[in-house]
Amino acid sequence: MGSKRNSVLIVGAGIAGIQAALDLAEMGVEVHLVEDTPTIGGRMPQLDKTFPTNDCSMCILSPKMSECARHPGIQIHILSNLKNVSGKPGRFKCTILERAKYVDPVKCVACGLCEDKCPVKIEDTFDVGLRTRKAISRYFLQSIPAEYTIDKDKCLYLTKGVCRICEKTCEAGAINYEDKDREVELEVGAIILAAGIDPFDPIGFGHFGYHRYPDVVTSLEFERMLSASGPMGGHVVRASNGKEPKKLAFIQCVGSRDEGIDRNYCSSACCMFAIKQSIIAKEHIKDLDSSIFYMDIRAFGKDFDKYYEKAEKQYGVKFKRSKVADIIETPEGKLRLRYTLEKGTTQYEEFDMVVLSIGLQAREANQRLSEDLDIRLNEFGFCRSERFSPLMTSREGVFVCGAMNGPKDIPESVVSASGAVANAVRFLDLERQGLPTADESIPEKNVIGQRPRIGVFVCHCGINIAGVVDVKDVAEYAGTLENVEHTEDVMYACSTDCLDTIKKRIEEHDLNRVVVAACTPRTHEPLFRETINEAGLNPYLFEMANIRDQCSWAHMDQPELATIKSKDLVEMGVAKSRGLQPLERLPIEIDPKALVIGGGLSGMTSALSLADAGHQVYLIEKEDELGGNLRNIFFNFDDKDPQVFLGDLIKKVSRHKMIEVLKGAEIEDISGYIGNYKTSLKAGSGKEGRLLDHGVVIVATGGEEHKTEEYLLGKSSRIVTQVEFERMLHEKDFPAGKLKNVVMIQCVGSREEGRMYCSRICCSKAVKNALELKKVKSKTNVYFAYRDIRTYGFSEKYYTELRDEGTVFLRYTPDSKPVVELIDEDVTDSRARVTVFDPIMDRDVVIDADLVVLATAIDAPEKNEELAKKLKVPLNADGMFLEAHVKLRPVDFATEGVFLCGLAHSPKDMDESQAQAKAAASRALTFLNRKAVLAEGTICQVMTDRCSGCSYCESICAYSAIEVDPEKLVAVVNEALCKGCGACVASCRCGALDLRGFTNQQMYSVFDSLDLVITEKVGD
Amino acid sequence: MNDTERSAARMRSPEGIRGSLHDFLKIAVDKGAVDSVLAPVKVPAENSYAWILMNDPAVIESASPVAPVMPVQGAKALKSLTRKGKGESRILAVMRPCEIRAGIELMKLNQVHFDNIVLVSYDCPGAVPFQDYVKDPGFSEESFGKMIASGRPGEENIKPACGICTEFSIVDSDIHFGYFGVDEGSAFVIPVSEQGAELLDAIGLDRDAKIADWESEISSIRDKRTKKRTETLSAAGERIKGLDGLINAFRKCIGCHNCMSVCPICYCRQCYFDSEVSKKDPDFIFEIAEKRGAMAFPRDKVMFHAGRMTHMSLSCVSCGFCTDACPTGIPVAEIFSYMADITQPTFEYIAGKNNGEPLPLRKFEKKELPLVHEIVKSAEGEEGSDE
Repeated sequence: MGSKRNSVLIVGAGIAGIQAALDLAEMGVEVHLVEDTPTIGGRMPQLDKTFPTNDCSMCILSPKMSECARHPGIQIHILSNLKNVSGKPGRFKCTILERAKYVDPVKCVACGLCEDKCPVKIEDTFDVGLRTRKAISRYFLQSIPAEYTIDKDKCLYLTKGVCRICEKTCEAGAINYEDKDREVELEVGAIILAAGIDPFDPIGFGHFGYHRYPDVVTSLEFERMLSASGPMGGHVVRASNGKEPKKLAFIQCVGSRDEGIDRNYCSSACCMFAIKQSIIAKEHIKDLDSSIFYMDIRAFGKDFDKYYEKAEKQYGVKFKRSKVADIIETPEGKLRLRYTLEKGTTQYEEFDMVVLSIGLQAREANQRLSEDLDIRLNEFGFCRSERFSPLMTSREGVFVCGAMNGPKDIPESVVSASGAVANAVRFLDLERQGLPTADESIPEKNVIGQRPRIGVFVCHCGINIAGVVDVKDVAEYAGTLENVEHTEDVMYACSTDCLDTIKKRIEEHDLNRVVVAACTPRTHEPLFRETINEAGLNPYLFEMANIRDQCSWAHMDQPELATIKSKDLVEMGVAKSRGLQPLERLPIEIDPKALVIGGGLSGMTSALSLADAGHQVYLIEKEDELGGNLRNIFFNFDDKDPQVFLGDLIKKVSRHKMIEVLKGAEIEDISGYIGNYKTSLKAGSGKEGRLLDHGVVIVATGGEEHKTEEYLLGKSSRIVTQVEFERMLHEKDFPAGKLKNVVMIQCVGSREEGRMYCSRICCSKAVKNALELKKVKSKTNVYFAYRDIRTYGFSEKYYTELRDEGTVFLRYTPDSKPVVELIDEDVTDSRARVTVFDPIMDRDVVIDADLVVLATAIDAPEKNEELAKKLKVPLNADGMFLEAHVKLRPVDFATEGVFLCGLAHSPKDMDESQAQAKAAASRALTFLNRKAVLAEGTICQVMTDRCSGCSYCESICAYSAIEVDPEKLVAVVNEALCKGCGACVASCRCGALDLRGFTNQQMYSVFDSLDLVITEKVGD
Repeated sequence: MNDTERSAARMRSPEGIRGSLHDFLKIAVDKGAVDSVLAPVKVPAENSYAWILMNDPAVIESASPVAPVMPVQGAKALKSLTRKGKGESRILAVMRPCEIRAGIELMKLNQVHFDNIVLVSYDCPGAVPFQDYVKDPGFSEESFGKMIASGRPGEENIKPACGICTEFSIVDSDIHFGYFGVDEGSAFVIPVSEQGAELLDAIGLDRDAKIADWESEISSIRDKRTKKRTETLSAAGERIKGLDGLINAFRKCIGCHNCMSVCPICYCRQCYFDSEVSKKDPDFIFEIAEKRGAMAFPRDKVMFHAGRMTHMSLSCVSCGFCTDACPTGIPVAEIFSYMADITQPTFEYIAGKNNGEPLPLRKFEKKELPLVHEIVKSAEGEEGSDE
């Protein structure tokens, strides 16, 4: 359909917007990333560490930001807003307003001179007011685009007509006071909203003393304090006296789960956020005493409960189930908390510092956006979406992701972003892309056999490097090194004119290797590689020395030593570059077909997304029927019937001409790699074996109900699981007689030894079923025996509703679990006596139950292990499939071309499964929509005559890219999978492995170029 | 298998353990329980022993399952037979505990496959240093004979590594012959693995002997040995402390790489230090020599040993072959054992145990990271302001 546009507009460039942009751009879609602030990145750059792995937030985000900035398919519009949308899906007309930046982005090299000299200090919103910035500034150190912008409301010249200091300071001539706001018209096929979320502002909460007491801070402020790059350099001190706090309190649910302020929802992330902060704070401050005041700990995500456990057992964080009434400051400057324990007793405790775990709330801007775009919001101001279409807005062709339609943590935002992409592509004119064609006009020079002729360029980076390092001296020194034919110092190596200079010098001096001494290869290597390629050199003939991060920044106060070290780094770079060889990136063809394993909700959703995008899908299901666990779900919080939805879904899948459903199928073997998989299905019971060719695999194998005999399950027909109870409700087939008392026991099998995880959906499911029960049997007494009620997100209000219905909630601990006894052992439908210790009344409560309903855990199927082996992908300790990165690659495996979704990943609800299934499809499409991809150039090679076949490399490779050939007994590298990380090379004691472009020989030359201490010893 | 219920068969022979083992080999082949036997046989020149794979009863007759010397590590013989996987014929191999343990390490490195191998170990009295044996085979045979007859581990005329060996008795073999502290001429035949038990059943050895006394004897010897090992190795550790200590320890090294050639764990096809890539340009060597003012040759002595140590100390079974093979008398085994006794406990790993545990570097455990950090910190503390 030629009338569709192959472009998408994304509103908001936080992690969700970035992920959506990257996915789309990889599929060959033109992306407009519209961002209100001066940088992409959103909330993540403000965070110090991320739970539950304690990864540095910026470290994991910045590669994605750079990728976004570099990708030719992504156009970033900073300081911009979407104003108006007209037209139809497939061909929307959008108007965006780009505000004036007053700095020419093409000329600005982000040297920072202007900011140094600007006389106007303003509050730094990035550091939530904990430090100041200038009226001309870069939003934060690693912001992207790497440009400065002027705050027109604060700039002296723009407000009062005086100053113009920045203009005089700027050596690049980038300041432009005449810059104007402008409107840009764009035509796009679909729109994705990822406008994010705001933290709750506790100023209205006078009784917690925020803003009145300096040592009461919000969790976001505390996060900035913890951050090593934050305003305090990671050194947490009390604002009142500048000393380290020794006693720290976290108060949960500030601005969440609070009907009184119209926030009858759970912000979902704050419990984990507080646990993380308490752990990190304890790592920063020795002997810190840290307490978390909470109602329920909602550690419901994958591996979250283990993290919670670790905080309590290993770090000694104190968890206090209570309600904090108020805080007052004592004359000694301590903060006295008054709080009520479960039992109702009031207690007082003094702390040095209090962190308010502020909730997440809808952005005010949503209101305007909803009017401009004609989309509906929910009762709390979040973008409204339905349970069975979790990423759709009320307007066709406009999708939502990230926290804009409800509080989410990072991986869920990433999942929803990829998921929204899968929805959006239906309105695009997708075309399978070929490989980027090489520029024929610049033939690549053959340098093999030539003596190295090296050019060295040393960058000033304004004053960033030259302010500390004697750049001219370093450049001169480089000139004395062997094989260096040309050397010069340049103001900004990455500026367009300097890149031209480099190309010119390659020509003039017939250079065949280039070394740039500047900043980090992480951000700049691709640019320089591209540049030398434009001059006819193979891109791998380039080497970088990072004299900014490692010299001028690290040794700011020792300029002489910093200069010596810079020389060493340049010398090492030159030594390494001598051994550089041209490398080739081999094309790997991609078979456009997909294999989806598992025909439940997730598998079917994935299959449908892929098929709708025009790809042949094999959907294999082990049972003889599609539907999986969804077959047992009959109710939903909203009125939609899940069985009707399932019926429709099965119909769509079965009738889709691009989907072949293979029921009762069992996998015999899977071989191959990205783009080229072969899967054989077992023959048997009247079925013929099949051999399927496909390019990608999506694992959607689901989960299983935990089988147990705990609480006498199976001993009486009146003791049932939630799944059985739901069917009972559906069929109105209750046990005979009156249903006076029903007891629901939560966490059966979950959150205990052997299954140290939360099954996530059981609380909501039990609440849902209890409400259904109340609908039909309003007089029945319902009792909940629970540990924490984890009705996160918008399910909270149903929990409130159920409480208002008079349901009795009895909390138990793992040491005093409820006891279930049969009242009449001789019958098969005996009623049961349930004894629960109630901490509120401080005594046992005995209930004679007509029905006991057990919320049994979700287990990973045992067969996961077999499949994991066949796919060469890992499982976590609980037997669930383990994704490539828990935060930013939640549906990918480290092995390319294999994806996961649904319960195969971890327990989750229907809407979450669907979002993840779409996300997996979208990630798969980034490959399927290309005819071929390029393998890495820097990959491992095996010198077979040295290999002993010990398979150390095999056990170490994260990408399953190397294994010992069972016949030849030597290691073999799969060049399509190898990422060139070099781990195997380090593990190989036989010296049989080597990394192209990073060879052992090159490394030895680098060491030899230095005067190492050991060389001073005469004896050896 | 539950240790407290370990039961054993009993064999007797006028020639003691040697006789019992010899009889056992013959019965096993005779009854068809195994196809062939791998055991030491005295070479015709009468001044050494060699590993021979045999199934001819006449040749088996000439085998010396308990040889006084160890010219070639048994694990290396096993590697030659099984490095490409399971062989067709079922082999019974009689080896010293350290040879079996090295074999187990090689198995974890894919260099040895045990599928068709039955391993028989025995209480090892130690071995005579190879050079001593070559000088005077007669005296060595005699002293070793007495050692065995005494039913106790040797004290004199054995390799230094044997003198501090704590794994001289039962290991993860299939069948173990225990005779230390048992009445003269008598030995317990102890099934260690299921395969071992099946074989004993197959050849009809009744298991009715109680071995508690033997077990307590072994453990009391082990206690003494452990003490001696700790003393000896900590003294060795003192001697090689710091870079200077290491340089001193290997000053006599002539770079023959014999230690590497005889080491069962060094399984590389070609050592990096023997390869052309390791050789530096003379230009470069002159440059270094000039900087230092003097230069010793051959180069890369400490680098060679340190490199080897890094690669194999986690798998070192302290068999002592390296010392035995050193022509200049460097106590290589002592130094390597010292390192092994530090690196192996760091990963809670015991080399030579066959308990399904992979080599430590094959899997990463988060808890190991702070541990390494601590070790580095304490090492820095000890070194003080050395640099």
